[in-house]
Amino acid sequence: MIRYFDGYSAERVEDLDERKLKRPLVKTQLMEILDGERTRTLEGLASLFTSSGVKLQPIDDALLMVSDSEAGEIGFMERLGSRVVAIYSVRKSEDLNKWSRRLVYSNPELDYVWLSGLTFDVLWQVVGKLSKPHRYGRLVFTHDSIFDIDAQLGETEETEQEMVDSPSEDDVEQIVEKRETSFRLTDRIGIIQQKLHQLQELYSPLYAISQMRFPSPVGRGGHDFYDNGKVTNRSQSFRDHRNHLLFVVRIYEHLLKSTEQRAWYSIQESVGIPGQFRKIVGSPVVIRFREQLTPKVFDQWAAATFERKNNKFRLWGHPIRLGPTKVHVYGVDRHLWQPLFLELTAKGCIAIIPNGTCGNTVHRLVTNVQRYLDPGAHAFLGDIPYKTLVEQSAQLVPYEPNAE
Amino acid sequence: MSLTPSELLKDPLFQLNSLLWLTQPVPTDIEIKPLLHERGWTVYAIAQLLGPPLDVLLFAQRANISVQERVRPDVVLQQTPQRRFAFVECKTSSFGSSSTTADQARALLIVGGPRAAEVLGLSVSQVSESFVSYVLPDDQRKLLDPTLEALRKELGDKKIPVGNAILLGLQIAHNAVCIVVDPVGSASFDLPTGSTPFLTLEPDTDPRPVYFIPYDPDVDQTPQEKSFCKRILFERMLGAVVSAAGRVIPPFPTSLKTKSILNDSTFGMYDHWENQESAKNMRGVCKHFMGKVMQAVNSATPNSMSYQPGHGWLIQLQDRNHQERVLDTLTRFSCDTLDLQAEPPPSLFDEQEGV
Repeated sequence: MIRYFDGYSAERVEDLDERKLKRPLVKTQLMEILDGERTRTLEGLASLFTSSGVKLQPIDDALLMVSDSEAGEIGFMERLGSRVVAIYSVRKSEDLNKWSRRLVYSNPELDYVWLSGLTFDVLWQVVGKLSKPHRYGRLVFTHDSIFDIDAQLGETEETEQEMVDSPSEDDVEQIVEKRETSFRLTDRIGIIQQKLHQLQELYSPLYAISQMRFPSPVGRGGHDFYDNGKVTNRSQSFRDHRNHLLFVVRIYEHLLKSTEQRAWYSIQESVGIPGQFRKIVGSPVVIRFREQLTPKVFDQWAAATFERKNNKFRLWGHPIRLGPTKVHVYGVDRHLWQPLFLELTAKGCIAIIPNGTCGNTVHRLVTNVQRYLDPGAHAFLGDIPYKTLVEQSAQLVPYEPNAE
Repeated sequence: MSLTPSELLKDPLFQLNSLLWLTQPVPTDIEIKPLLHERGWTVYAIAQLLGPPLDVLLFAQRANISVQERVRPDVVLQQTPQRRFAFVECKTSSFGSSSTTADQARALLIVGGPRAAEVLGLSVSQVSESFVSYVLPDDQRKLLDPTLEALRKELGDKKIPVGNAILLGLQIAHNAVCIVVDPVGSASFDLPTGSTPFLTLEPDTDPRPVYFIPYDPDVDQTPQEKSFCKRILFERMLGAVVSAAGRVIPPFPTSLKTKSILNDSTFGMYDHWENQESAKNMRGVCKHFMGKVMQAVNSATPNSMSYQPGHGWLIQLQDRNHQERVLDTLTRFSCDTLDLQAEPPPSLFDEQEGV
């Protein structure tokens, strides 16, 4: 597979040079699987996907072929870590997006790998250290203030089409004014490194990095990582692509582990003490907004999140109103169907994550807050900044671009 | 807002949950200030049943001093580097030295005294200092002080070793809920003397933090406050059912036992309630609630949920569509419409489920 995709990738870069892409680029969708005994073996992994109509056929002891009863052949799957699998595909981007979305939304044991703007900020520092300043880097910023609008529209129910490109000019669109930022910045890495922080201070949507390119150290192009774990190979080498995936997945798994170690709340028996004393262990997840929400935006956020089934934050609960801009929700992460308790205010959000709730819930929450509410929000696990945890996770992984 | 902030200060569950938040690691610029966490205090034990040393109990008996045989302080706090322990009890109001609560206080003063290491099962070198602390509204602080002094003197006169009693008052001041300590309390907890704000008040906003411990059938609460806490408990129980129904992969069934629902809803505290009557009451509350949920589910999607003696509640889902419909009903179920003040009717299931 690696040899095949290597050759295929080299051909696509030639296509890109000629500005005529004959076949789609190689793309990877990273997915997080719940850490269960049954998915440790290939058979267990296969049974997890069968329930969503996806067939996995073992090719060797680490690789599976992926096909779907409706969509046909998808590509290959490889386990890149204890909790993350990669699905490699040469399907068109919109096809793969739709398929991945249907798969993730129909299976509570699967989730995207969520790379928040804060995580990308740390990965960008890594890019700065690894790449020569004259190389070109690329960042995409996306902030869509769906709760701050001039009409009573607010957040709409999510649909299958949501991930598809924006409507064309011919499409009829309701005119809704809202704060929305989506643009791509491509420049020399050295220049971006110098200016980005100042720009972010001036204009907070620039904290909402939703896509980032790792330049390839073995040739031209690079690897475009999206905030939902999709990665497009725009380099000549699939091996290099896979090495970058492994690097980011290792960081992500460290991050998941440290998130869960810190954030999981439980009543725990004290070890080694007679009488088995009980104590509360864990740390709250705290998100603070850079700019306080107006009561109108707060109401839109609370209503859109808890009154609509398919809301952006994938949360469920009945808010208990404690004030004009304060609610408590003893609810459930609608995607993984795991409990979490929230305090939402105009100044931020506090989440209590009971023991066993997947760390991905935290990363999805942070990613969505940056994307839809406040791009410059600060996040903490207990009193430790979220960004520090990402930095610590990145430091634990040695970067080995040529290692297999 | 159900209660004014001043009324809220009297509520033992508000006091307990505020105390727990004071020990949580959180950034310093949020509404609740982690005053105790900043000073190295952590939760060592919650609602742990402790007994005074037997020789002390016998000695007190011979001296005709009434001491409760066992005591369950709401929280035991520990300041690790200093090897300090605080045995903390939350109270709505003061009490007199001849009240039944005084028996509990005597036991607490002994447990939190010089023999605390023995009571906790630690070596003497692991405890350098221990004391008892009461959290209560500040207007009750000055009333309780003489009572505790009298009890300490009574025990001290009989050579029964007792700990210091530190009072942590709660008051509304500086547009915040504040903790009030005197110079002795300040030295023991390392808190500033006087009134220190820890929970910011916002206009027209209830200052309650998210509750770790949502419900305790044993505490003395106003009906209004009890209803609020029951609402939280019901929301958490519903969350436990929604989680279970959402995670199951059809056509496999999923079962929920009263015990697991209650533990999921109370951070596992239910397992540790030793008051059997309270635990039974909680099971009754849970079963009554689950009966209502089952009724709602079955009326929308017949035969989806049943109670199986020995297994608890069984949710049987045929396929994804069926699961979606059951989840729709569950997620629309409103705890707010239930009668939150009603006591559960006697249950027939209690023994059969084997909880």
